[in-house]
Amino acid sequence: MRIEKCWFCSSSIYPGHGIQFVRNDAKIFRFCRSKCHKNFKMKRNPRKVKWTKAYRRVHGKDMTQDSTFELERKRNRPERYDRNVAENTLKAIKKIDKVRVAREARHHAQRMKGNKVSEMKAAVKELEQSIHMVKAPIALKEDPSLTLPKLKVKVSSQHKQRIKWKNETLSLSLSLTLSLSPQPPTSSFLEHQRRVDTGPA
Amino acid sequence: MIQPQTLLNVADNSGARELMCIRILGASNRRYAHIGDVIVAVIKEAVPNMPLERSEVIRAVIVRTCKELKRENGMRIRYDDNAAVVIDQEGNPKGTRVLVQSPGIERIEFHKNRLISSRSIIVVDEIMIE
Repeated sequence: MRIEKCWFCSSSIYPGHGIQFVRNDAKIFRFCRSKCHKNFKMKRNPRKVKWTKAYRRVHGKDMTQDSTFELERKRNRPERYDRNVAENTLKAIKKIDKVRVAREARHHAQRMKGNKVSEMKAAVKELEQSIHMVKAPIALKEDPSLTLPKLKVKVSSQHKQRIKWKNETLSLSLSLTLSLSPQPPTSSFLEHQRRVDTGPA
Repeated sequence: MIQPQTLLNVADNSGARELMCIRILGASNRRYAHIGDVIVAVIKEAVPNMPLERSEVIRAVIVRTCKELKRENGMRIRYDDNAAVVIDQEGNPKGTRVLVQSPGIERIEFHKNRLISSRSIIVVDEIMIE
């Protein structure tokens, strides 16, 4: 019994799974599941199919050279069963796996390094350039801070509430209409919007 | 899944090139034949100047199918084409060499007198691989 590697995606094929295809030149292709088999029949190149190990290795997403891979190489010499050897091998497998996983994590971290900084920079730039998509320039002029404008007027709480609501919806609808309509809205349209937003006064 | 009218390549040097299945032996009204089954076939294409000629009705045993062969251990094996080996009434091959792409899985046993059962047919390793 041997755990094979899928020709397409390089995952392990356990006994009882998958299909083997024997081509007329006697080359055997083993597939772990019908997904890989069907991709093969479609003549897809695994190096170009994003979710395969072959792609990830070729494009530097996963480790290619490592000493832990050497230990997993295929050996064709049958070994006589020795209990101690088997026990030690099992222990070694666990350790090697741990080492390999740690190295892969390190490789991934190395790959992702510098992402946070560039993301921050891009975000700052976007904020500077595209804030008009979020808040109308008119509203920004009133209050240059990035929070929603809060009007400070000494009025009754009910009236205060109504004014606040009116101003928010006005700016929102303004920005919406500015972004949605190709032409700037006419004043009558704006007036209509204002009346619609505030409701019965 | 070979059925009547199926064209099969010939995997030996008996002189036939292409066979067309006429009948599947083993039971009346048997629908499909798989690897290891014996069929009655007619020779559609033959190599010139050989004992076997075109439109001769002969028997053959199937050695390769495009439909996967299922084993009890869960292994499934699929080949690239459908092929058969020409045999005579007793079950002996007509050709001298069997050309099989064998990944070391199957063996053909040609018994002296007759084919014992289709299950005992397996394809030989060490016979010529081309």
